[in-house]
Amino acid sequence: MAQTIPLGLQTQPAEQSASVSRESAVPWFVWSGVLAVTSIAFGLYWDISWHMTIGRDTFWTPAHLAIQFGGILAAITCIVLIFSTTFSDNPALQSASVRIWGFRGPLGAFLTAWGGVTMVTSTPFDNWWHNSFGLDVQILSPPHVVLGLGIWGVGVGCLLLLLARKNRATGAAGQKLDRLFLYLASLLVLLHMILISEYSDASLMHSAIFYRAVAIGTPTLLIAYGRASGHKWGATIIATIYMALMLAAMWIFPIFPAHPKLGPVYTNVTHMVPMGFPVLLIVPAFFLDLVMNRFVSRGKWFLSVVSGSAFVAALIAVQWPFGIFMISPAARNWLFGQIYFPYQMPPSMYQLAYQFQVFESTRSAFWLSLGIALVASILSARVGLAFGDWLTRIRR
Amino acid sequence: MNRSIVIVFFMLLGAPCLAHVGSPDVYFQGDAGPYHLTVMVRTPQMIPGVAEIEVRTDAPGVHQVKIVPLYIVGTGSKYPPPPDVLLPSKDDPQYFTGKLWLMASGSWQVRIEADGDRGAGTLAVPVPAFARSTLPMQKGLGALLSGLMILLVLAIVSIFGAARREGQLEPGQPSGPSQKRAARTAMAIALAIVLGLLSLGGWWWKVAAAERAQQMIYKPPQLLASLLPGGKMLLRVGESAWHTRRPEAVSTKLIPDHGHLMHLFLIRVPQMDRFYHLHPAEDKGGVFLDDLPAISAGHYQIFADIVRESGFPDTLVAEIDIPEIPGQPLAGDDSAAIAPALLPDAPGNVDFLLPDGAHMVWERQPGQLRANQLLWFRFQVQDAAGKTATDLEPYMGMAGHAEFVRSDLSVFAHVHPDGSASMAAVELAQASLPGRSSAPTASAGNSMPGMDMGGTRASSQLSGVAFPYGFPKPGLYRIFVQVKRKGYVETGVFDTWAN
Repeated sequence: MAQTIPLGLQTQPAEQSASVSRESAVPWFVWSGVLAVTSIAFGLYWDISWHMTIGRDTFWTPAHLAIQFGGILAAITCIVLIFSTTFSDNPALQSASVRIWGFRGPLGAFLTAWGGVTMVTSTPFDNWWHNSFGLDVQILSPPHVVLGLGIWGVGVGCLLLLLARKNRATGAAGQKLDRLFLYLASLLVLLHMILISEYSDASLMHSAIFYRAVAIGTPTLLIAYGRASGHKWGATIIATIYMALMLAAMWIFPIFPAHPKLGPVYTNVTHMVPMGFPVLLIVPAFFLDLVMNRFVSRGKWFLSVVSGSAFVAALIAVQWPFGIFMISPAARNWLFGQIYFPYQMPPSMYQLAYQFQVFESTRSAFWLSLGIALVASILSARVGLAFGDWLTRIRR
Repeated sequence: MNRSIVIVFFMLLGAPCLAHVGSPDVYFQGDAGPYHLTVMVRTPQMIPGVAEIEVRTDAPGVHQVKIVPLYIVGTGSKYPPPPDVLLPSKDDPQYFTGKLWLMASGSWQVRIEADGDRGAGTLAVPVPAFARSTLPMQKGLGALLSGLMILLVLAIVSIFGAARREGQLEPGQPSGPSQKRAARTAMAIALAIVLGLLSLGGWWWKVAAAERAQQMIYKPPQLLASLLPGGKMLLRVGESAWHTRRPEAVSTKLIPDHGHLMHLFLIRVPQMDRFYHLHPAEDKGGVFLDDLPAISAGHYQIFADIVRESGFPDTLVAEIDIPEIPGQPLAGDDSAAIAPALLPDAPGNVDFLLPDGAHMVWERQPGQLRANQLLWFRFQVQDAAGKTATDLEPYMGMAGHAEFVRSDLSVFAHVHPDGSASMAAVELAQASLPGRSSAPTASAGNSMPGMDMGGTRASSQLSGVAFPYGFPKPGLYRIFVQVKRKGYVETGVFDTWAN
């Protein structure tokens, strides 16, 4: 905001005016950050689809290039930001920065740079893992988690870059930044949901592991980003965008023809195989917003207990019956995506997609796991509240 | 079913395995239509992994060689992926090389499509694929990752500190003592959390790595050997979770390999001066019985070759102490040999005196034999007068059999003139080629003149036999070479060093 130019600065009127102008526009690095995270998220989805369809993987697949482009774009953005801030004599630039190891720059730039280095670190680690344990298409492996942390760093870093600006902005720029924030936050939710997708399949919707996987962390993101968005229905909007993006990908990817390039080929796929139908996050996110709006004046722990419980309850209420539908013949079409199978899957195993897996072997294990999901959801909600409040206070 | 789970599931199914002991690479020769090819497949240490393929044509005129991997049997054999083109050597137009992903464990075939002046032809080479071991992290890489980890930990802690100290201040507002104090607290908490997460991650890494290794690494089934009264040997083949997890790509059911469900080799150790090649009969599922021939007392190493119905071979290993057994006379395809003790500093030999006064001569090329290279092992039989014998007969359908054994027993390979692949797998693979009969025909196109089975072009000289093979590592080896003459199996024994 123009009026937040510090009193202590000996800023000339012309500089103030320029600063006001800059503060009122969406800066280039925000656009750059949004583009970088978009490219990473799209590349990641594409890469997973690539593994299910084509199989053959090199450093130079288009999907990898999209991820790398996002990482490089974010890195260049941050390098320029940090160096231009550190070595600039523009006091407005320096005054809106933090200092780390002698360098100055926006907080988000440092976190994004950290994420970029972490992504780079995951590459030799992942390469060794592949050589040692075989090329894997496992999402949750130690090197992939390092990569995920790197992507998280880049994503949240870009979000902080945007937020610092948004929290100081007003007017048209503020509205534009609001919309960009909701979109960027939905991408981060999408990345999180991809990370847990091994446990969020329709065949697991009658197992507690499904609810436990979604309850750990997802309320944190929805509450925090919803709160930071400043929008009354922030979490619902973010969940809606997440679902829309996933559905669009599920409907668009199969349009493109492709064939496996690695054996053994069990299913002779002829098009890109998409990921499955998204989790119906819109419903529990709506209840999160409802609780936050209804009990706005109550304490944080009260809010956490109510919203965390509401999240799990709404998730079960909607996913349990939806699971029955998803394994039924009615879902075996392009609309719900229950007709897509990776080339590694023999037709004799398609039936597994149309029945519920028994993940917990006993009833007590099921209830214990569901109890863990409830506790995790409450704690995640509490972390989300704290994180969200912190995000709303970010200024640099 | 979650697609990612499915992928992981099949990735786990996908670790390949192989017969022989310590000799995972495949050496093979055969005809792709009008072209005779010699093939070497270096299998990867871990599956999924990249195999290296080398193909040499006997004669010029081949313009392009393409390779396709697929399973020998089952659903995975129905849809071949697009072929890869091998690169011709710039110096040698008859030599082609390339790489191939083997995505899963199991009984693979590499289809080699040769195209040239005389048209096109296809050869199927069986390649048992299996994960052998995980790779330890190299010190340099470990140091690099450790350094990066320390840097990243310090950086994220500093970021947390900066976030707390200045992140929420309005632009230009200096941080005061309270912010600095809070920043220090935030950094301490962040460091504790990060170290906790790292410990948790380290534990998960160990568990995940151990689980993957346990699921991926090939383990041959256990073989329990015991002696029964009356000079009988009982062999019990154990269960293997590695095999049962791969019902189609590996399978557990056995098929005969040139007429026998099991080829049993007894070698008296450590001197390797007694050698028996026997063929126990299956008594009931997984239990074999053999009426032992006359056997000298001693401690014996057992190698037992079996082939699964997928074409996947296993070599089972055991040890047993055997007393002097008068035993039965050798019968059927059973054979035995007596040789001088293998000495640790054995100079090597190229001439072996056979019991009937004839000699078996190794036509060894001068110079050192290098490990991990395709070598041709050619042998002749000369009668007592030194005249080359031309009366070799097929022995179990083959022109000959050769067993390569390293002095420390870490390598055992049962090789035929067609190469190191099991003949049962060869038959299955050839039968799976488009347009071929599903009924297996042994060594199709490679039969010795006048023989129903076996033999190769190189071995079709009735006076000798040749084997394509490569030593998997340097060391002292003893080679048992078996041919049949006048109804008797004769075994030549040769020692050599590989560098």
